[in-house]
Amino acid sequence: MEAFLKMENITKKFGEVSANKNINFSVAAGEVHTLLGENGAGKSTLMNILMGLYQPTAGQIYLRGEPVRIDSPSKAVKLGLGMVHQHFMLVEAMTVFENIILGVSKDHAVFIKKDRMKKEILALAARYSLDVEIDKPITEISVGAQQRVEILKALYRGAELLILDEPTAALTDLEVEGLFRIIRKLKKENKSVVFISHKMREVLEISDRITILRTGETVKTLKKEEADADGLANLMIGKELVLSDYKKVASSKEKVVSLNGVCYQKSSKHSGLNDVSLEVGKGEIVGIAGVDGNGQSQLAQLLTGVIGPESGEVFVKAERISKYAPEAFIMKNVAHIPEDRNKMGLIGNMTVTENLMLKRLKSDEISYGKGAFLRRRAMKQSAEKLKDKYDIRCASTEQETRNLSGGNQQKIILARELEENPDLLVAVHPTRGLDIGATQYVHDAMIASRDKGCGVVLISADFDEVLKLSDRIAVMFEGRIVGIYPGENPPIRDISLAMAGKVE
Amino acid sequence: MTTIWNATFISELLLSMIRMATPILIVAIAELYSEKAGLVNIGLDGIMAFGSLVGFLVSYITGNPYLGLFAGAFGGIAINMVYAVCTIQLGAEQIVYGMAINIFAPAIASFIYKIYFGISSSLISAQLMKPLPIPVLSHIPYVGDVLFNHTPIVYLAYLLVPLTYVFFNKTRAGLNYTAVGEYPKAAESLGINVIRTKYIASIICGFLAGLGGAYLTTCYISTYSDGVVSGRGFIALSAVIFGRWAPGGVLLAALLFGFTDALQLRLQVLNSGMPYQLLAMIPYLCTLFVLAFFGIKKAGPKANGKPYFKEER
Repeated sequence: MEAFLKMENITKKFGEVSANKNINFSVAAGEVHTLLGENGAGKSTLMNILMGLYQPTAGQIYLRGEPVRIDSPSKAVKLGLGMVHQHFMLVEAMTVFENIILGVSKDHAVFIKKDRMKKEILALAARYSLDVEIDKPITEISVGAQQRVEILKALYRGAELLILDEPTAALTDLEVEGLFRIIRKLKKENKSVVFISHKMREVLEISDRITILRTGETVKTLKKEEADADGLANLMIGKELVLSDYKKVASSKEKVVSLNGVCYQKSSKHSGLNDVSLEVGKGEIVGIAGVDGNGQSQLAQLLTGVIGPESGEVFVKAERISKYAPEAFIMKNVAHIPEDRNKMGLIGNMTVTENLMLKRLKSDEISYGKGAFLRRRAMKQSAEKLKDKYDIRCASTEQETRNLSGGNQQKIILARELEENPDLLVAVHPTRGLDIGATQYVHDAMIASRDKGCGVVLISADFDEVLKLSDRIAVMFEGRIVGIYPGENPPIRDISLAMAGKVE
Repeated sequence: MTTIWNATFISELLLSMIRMATPILIVAIAELYSEKAGLVNIGLDGIMAFGSLVGFLVSYITGNPYLGLFAGAFGGIAINMVYAVCTIQLGAEQIVYGMAINIFAPAIASFIYKIYFGISSSLISAQLMKPLPIPVLSHIPYVGDVLFNHTPIVYLAYLLVPLTYVFFNKTRAGLNYTAVGEYPKAAESLGINVIRTKYIASIICGFLAGLGGAYLTTCYISTYSDGVVSGRGFIALSAVIFGRWAPGGVLLAALLFGFTDALQLRLQVLNSGMPYQLLAMIPYLCTLFVLAFFGIKKAGPKANGKPYFKEER
């Protein structure tokens, strides 16, 4: 098969870090070629190079056998390349129609010929069975529909090759089915598709060939028939993946935290707490299951002192809390993995070292006079140690954290929070947006600190994660705890019903 | 007192409102073009000051106020290029550089004036632009005088409103332009040249703001003095917010501010015993009030004020 696109020895450096190293990649016409890799493996960078958003440091791109230089997105569009970005490139203040015609100029007309263009777009949409409401503002259509708009946008520009960057990340199962139908239709029309994902099941279902990237390098290109889920996963993370089954432990008598009839904005079903009583023992993980937005965020904020209860009592290590402030909880050795690592967990413009040291600035090890003067060298040494211990992959500890991948950012938070051997750990969506390897790492770290005697409250919208880690499972619904279940052989059906508010 | 509120008074008041609103309208539209491309330019006042000096100087030397106007507009572009290079190319904070323009441009205008004319107390005046009544229309009773007996620049200013509306709402270029202010990364991915669009925005903004400044010294008062702009740039800035980033809204806002300005002048002349300083405050108080009530809800272009870097991860 003649390759439609060939990328040869592509290298891209961001400062010191190589995001892509000598990558080779090709796609034939009418082929679905998957790029598989963990976060930070270099998939998005490679595609941004193809789309002319980044310039490669070295390497050559061929299209239809001809060498090309793609120095701008408009060039990429002219060459017949289209990309649906993971974070959609849609202007929210505009309608579907306006978004589709944005930037295109097939003729040099000054005014927008609405009727004629609409007809063209609708014809195209019908041909690929892309169902869109053309006059609605972007903000009023669903995520699935926004994605269809993105695909339509690319096709309208005459794309012969379509890059779909993590297209299923934000879709429901039903929408994924719909997307796959569209992809098959594209194939039939002899369009090429580059599919980027790390979900095995989907990759195996839709791809013709699969190329695995790891830390910016090509590992292997496989035909679909040669691939299986375990093999792909191993190639992706570069070692045998042992899926661990964690042993569940019984609750200890000694409590690290107890909530007693706690209320906070009781009347608000989605962001309040209503008469919550909960105990977490030393060395156990209590998982909070529930659909997002049933008071879990408020529970986490309460357990870390960000908010105080309107009524009820909180005891940490048998001491009644009288002052609700994050600092008071930190003094009591409560650690927190916040729900949004970029907004609450890290200060993106500060370096790895600084972020790692944030909680310990007053310690004598890294400062003189209780934080009055910082000992930069000691900070750096300490950070280097943590970097090795927690396997934080960064070019240097002096790098700003905002440029790191999600997994590495989360490891920085873990290192900061777990290094002090906390008595209580409040972990909120600790693996959201992380790939398999990083998820595994976070889980192992949480179990390890449990085994050291830390009480853990795990709040997660990922039900599988809660089932896997929790020694006890509490279900939250509309601000209340509607049931507490054992983590060993959990009654899954009862828990699911409880999550929907149905308790017998 | 009641006899004052007769037809002549009202028609004079309205005439004055149109004249007073003109510089605010031109400069507010300048800002609209800037913000639609994601550049908040609070340096309007400075650009206007420089435009008013250049306008005055050229009009004084050549005796031709039209030349003065155009020179003022190009002076505005020159000053705004400082802002453009710093914010677009170097990604500097827009508010800081806008403020820098506000400090730097009036000072350089004052400096040039003093070099050219020396330090003297006598006011030097230049030729003012003459009104150009539109035939037939200007003879309509009441309305004719208010609307159709102005300098050409006034007509141009009001013509800018529908032109701008059509540009942003009906043309392809306007749609692409808007996308730059809303979501530059998306615009770039669609082959729109974000950097170029921002420079074009700065040129339009500089041109119009300079023009607005030059209007003051070639059509409104025949002389230049420091502080001739007296905060009109800031009033224009608030007119954009009050007008919800739409040309029609901006027109209404400019007329409102023009009206308060015209009113306070009339009230000063009436000499009701109130200190004139208090009356002179009216337009500014009005601005303050409007901003306090309409500035809260953020409704402008999404990427307004944010620097754009092509290769940022």
